[in-house]
Amino acid sequence: MLLFGAASQIFAQQTGKITLSGVVKDDDNGETLIGATVFEAASGNGTTTNEYGFYSLTIPQGNDSVSIEFSYVGFQTTMFRILPKADQTINIRLSTGIQLQEVVVKANSFEESIRSTEMSVEEISTKEVKLIPTLLGESDILKVIQLKPGMPSGSEGSTGLYVRGGAGDQNLIVLDEALVYNANHLFGFFSTFNTDAVKDLKLYKGGFPAQYGGRLSSVIDVRMKEGNNQHFAGTGGIGLISSRLTLEGPIQKDKSSFIVSGRRTYADIFTRMINKSNEGDPEYNPIPDYYFYDLNTKVNFDLGEKDHLYLSGYFGRDVFGFNGDFFDFSFSWGNRTGTARWNHVFSPKLFHNLTFTYSDYDYNIETKVTGFSFKVGSDVQDANLKSDFYYGLNDNHTLRFGGNITHHSFGVGRLKAGTDDGEINFSGGNDFDAWSMATYFGDEMSFGERWKLNAGVRLSGFYNEKFYAGVEPRAAAVYSVNKGMSLKGSYARMYQYQHLVSTSGISLPTDIWYPTTKLIKPQHSDQVAVGWEKLLGGNKYLITNEYYVKWLRNQVDFVDGAQLFANDRLEQEFAIGKGYGYGMELSIEKQEGVVRGWIGYTLALVRRGQFNTIDDSKVFAGGDRYFYPRYDRRHNVSVVVMYDFGETRDRKGLATNRWTISGTMIYGSGDRTWLPVGRFAFQDVYGADFQPITPVYGQRNAFRLPYFFRSDLGITYHMFPKWGESDLNLSFFNVTNRRNAFFLYIEPQYADDVKPEETPLAIPTGLKAKQVSLFPIIGSLTWNFKF
Amino acid sequence: MKYFFQKSNISGQLLWPSFIFLLFAFFITACGNLEKEINLDLPAYQPQYVVECYLEPGQPFTLLLTRSSAYFDPFPTDPLAYVENILVDSAEVVITHNGVDYNLANTPFLNPSTLKVANYYSSQLVPEDFDNDFALKITLSNGQTITSTTRILPVVPIDSVVVEFDDVKDTLARCLTYLTDDPSTVDYYRRMIHQNSLVDSIPDQDFTTNDDYVDDKVIVFGTGYDYKEGDTIYNTMFHIERAYFDFWNSTFNAINSNGNPFGQPSSIVSNVESSDGRAVGIFTGLSYDRIMTVVTK
Repeated sequence: MLLFGAASQIFAQQTGKITLSGVVKDDDNGETLIGATVFEAASGNGTTTNEYGFYSLTIPQGNDSVSIEFSYVGFQTTMFRILPKADQTINIRLSTGIQLQEVVVKANSFEESIRSTEMSVEEISTKEVKLIPTLLGESDILKVIQLKPGMPSGSEGSTGLYVRGGAGDQNLIVLDEALVYNANHLFGFFSTFNTDAVKDLKLYKGGFPAQYGGRLSSVIDVRMKEGNNQHFAGTGGIGLISSRLTLEGPIQKDKSSFIVSGRRTYADIFTRMINKSNEGDPEYNPIPDYYFYDLNTKVNFDLGEKDHLYLSGYFGRDVFGFNGDFFDFSFSWGNRTGTARWNHVFSPKLFHNLTFTYSDYDYNIETKVTGFSFKVGSDVQDANLKSDFYYGLNDNHTLRFGGNITHHSFGVGRLKAGTDDGEINFSGGNDFDAWSMATYFGDEMSFGERWKLNAGVRLSGFYNEKFYAGVEPRAAAVYSVNKGMSLKGSYARMYQYQHLVSTSGISLPTDIWYPTTKLIKPQHSDQVAVGWEKLLGGNKYLITNEYYVKWLRNQVDFVDGAQLFANDRLEQEFAIGKGYGYGMELSIEKQEGVVRGWIGYTLALVRRGQFNTIDDSKVFAGGDRYFYPRYDRRHNVSVVVMYDFGETRDRKGLATNRWTISGTMIYGSGDRTWLPVGRFAFQDVYGADFQPITPVYGQRNAFRLPYFFRSDLGITYHMFPKWGESDLNLSFFNVTNRRNAFFLYIEPQYADDVKPEETPLAIPTGLKAKQVSLFPIIGSLTWNFKF
Repeated sequence: MKYFFQKSNISGQLLWPSFIFLLFAFFITACGNLEKEINLDLPAYQPQYVVECYLEPGQPFTLLLTRSSAYFDPFPTDPLAYVENILVDSAEVVITHNGVDYNLANTPFLNPSTLKVANYYSSQLVPEDFDNDFALKITLSNGQTITSTTRILPVVPIDSVVVEFDDVKDTLARCLTYLTDDPSTVDYYRRMIHQNSLVDSIPDQDFTTNDDYVDDKVIVFGTGYDYKEGDTIYNTMFHIERAYFDFWNSTFNAINSNGNPFGQPSSIVSNVESSDGRAVGIFTGLSYDRIMTVVTK
């Protein structure tokens, strides 16, 4: 334990009560700890640190000293004795030593979870993310979160999330409070979050606190590391497809720090070499260039005891290119975010955060064919000013209130094409300028020792052609049956004013964000969840069981045969309907010890229906009835296990383990798909092809693909050289080599002497259904280091 | 503002999903054999009636009435048996225009110049009338009826066809097709371009479009540098109604969705109605301008 700011008595005390406040940090690197517990046993009062590591705890005034306990999972619990006579600022640093046998490390997060009004929340430690085997050895925090109950992905290998029956565009993903519009690379196979740069990820599936809004189904709040303010340090890794390097250190020790973290894939370096070696071979088809990169940067400054300034930025892009003799093609897409935050402590009770964020997402496609060029792109930019207050009113009330205003700028389907000589040119696209705003108030209340209630309301509004407003009540309650068990319930209404134009179950970079307009109303949802949590096995295991029902309104879908690409009248392709979902999630988790992990099971159902088209002449077949969307998965089981073994000592002499074996297993009902049930022959007019197989599609998504099963295995060897730490990770993705269905298609069969591509009147002899999979067993080796 | 399309067998809007699919296909190929044959147990299917009737002024009335089949029903190996298997006979087909009934007899008809077939035919010629509706009524042998209404649109003539050789590779030429659009109306077009033959060659381009992007009169359709000296290029520009535009697009969207994980299947948007809801098809006028051009330097 270290005390880095002298306890000071700075504010007048309140009659009979005093307030303790301060910041809890990691002793090793000075990073603030989010969600650390501060507890005073005599009064039973406790709290947790907020997103900035700040806490405010009100306890009874007295003449006898009391112990304040500071704890955080993976860190040594620290007791600090004070004389509770007046308000005090106590800044604390907690140190690790997790494997040091003589130190008791408390797995406090389970106990805190039992006491907390928060439910439907998942948190992931980036340390564990790196140990869990993933596709091509790329550790990915979104892929790991998909292993939690209620979080099925969009398709195999995808980082898309379909939370509790919500659509893929209903997830609010924020990085240092800046909205990330497209959180993935390479069509969703990898997320934009470089685990070396991420400090904390918190995901809400329900019971949303009032400070969050804008999406219906989940909130994924990602916080970047702040940078080591104690000493210069580096982290990195060399993997099969990418390498990473993070550098961080103090600008002024204890006062300010920086972090720069980059990641880039390098397949393009090899493909260029292969292309070059095959130059001149007329039979050789060059391999297109592809790479992506992420760059995270952050600096932060202590501006005295009461003020702290953070500046952070993220820049990521995918670049795809092909240069041929007659044909040049480039396609790039990416996000840029920037955040400036100023924390100010007005008093031990009142903490304020003023944030300005900027978010930008765009894609651009450019094609050049001899004498002709074609450019298409879309973009969205947000500039957001946000003010959040955290007020520890007394030991029974903690208030959060604030508001924000955002300017949105949408460029939808910008198109420009023409010949180089200017003889032919055309262009199209729509621009929208919109404003959104919200204000919120929430109060976390305690009623005796057993009851807690977090109630609030969010008022949101959006202006684009027309003003829409939404009243979003939120409430979450917990009843502690005893120290090891609690019952919970929550209700949340959410409004969403932006819609993703996408018909695919796969996240594509060309998916367009489209604002609410005169014709397109905001989506909204209501979710009720109840559940219980119980500690078992000496508080080592946490069982969570939740049940939810969700109603969705003004859901966006697209008419049959929607033309979503380069369409100036995109609204006419929309259909608006309703949806509902319900389900049950059960999990058992163990966070500490040599064997860690969780088992999760989800039983879920989601349906959508009562769709009406915006344009009366368009068709949304079967949309008046309720149907299952593609992502309706009835059952989902996930198992994650990590096991440390081979005792050794690290370079500080602390006990640790040499090896970690990790394994995951996922079983899930197959995705739903829409298949033809009939066919007819279409002769067409003079000059057109005869089509012997024109499919007649049956009921929407009535067919389910075969069940999904995949298990991954990883083994990590930890090394402790003099200069730092490193590990070698060997992982196998899809270790059973199961062929999971990515999609189905029907292949016509022809007689041996018929070539259908050359025969206008070719009639098949039969049809065969085929299943296409994406990934066989894939092994990868990654070397990670830290100094 | 003008309009231009590159060579493609599919509509411009479908290019992007197809491109992504090609990327995936490349990836899948690179990963080895990731395909396998499976058995699908599809639900029972009740066949529908399928109508194709195109009214071309100055040509005889013809109509093709067929039935659909369950998706995995076997295909007769003999082409004649295949055709007989899908034809629906013994129906009464009447097209009414300006109070005149045109009865189409149930007789096989093969147009020798187009090689298109019909099973209902009248030797009477379709009158050229752009101002009055044509009404179709089919009474099936089981008493069910299929109806539809359409109106023939006037031809929008091709202004000119220009063949240009590439400055650098002067052996290859592109073809530019100019059209004057009426900016005061929303018009729909189907564009086809064939090389050397209309009958037995698959079109180089075949797509529909509307005049959304056009804010002056002239639309230009183009190709890549795909033609060499001596080639014959057939430019065809159909002026189509919205119903045909929707039918054609939905039909080809349904066809192209097979095997494309990024495609969205769709129902066929038809303009025929039946008393039992089991008919699909198109009843429309056929107005087009076609220009044949021989590529010369």
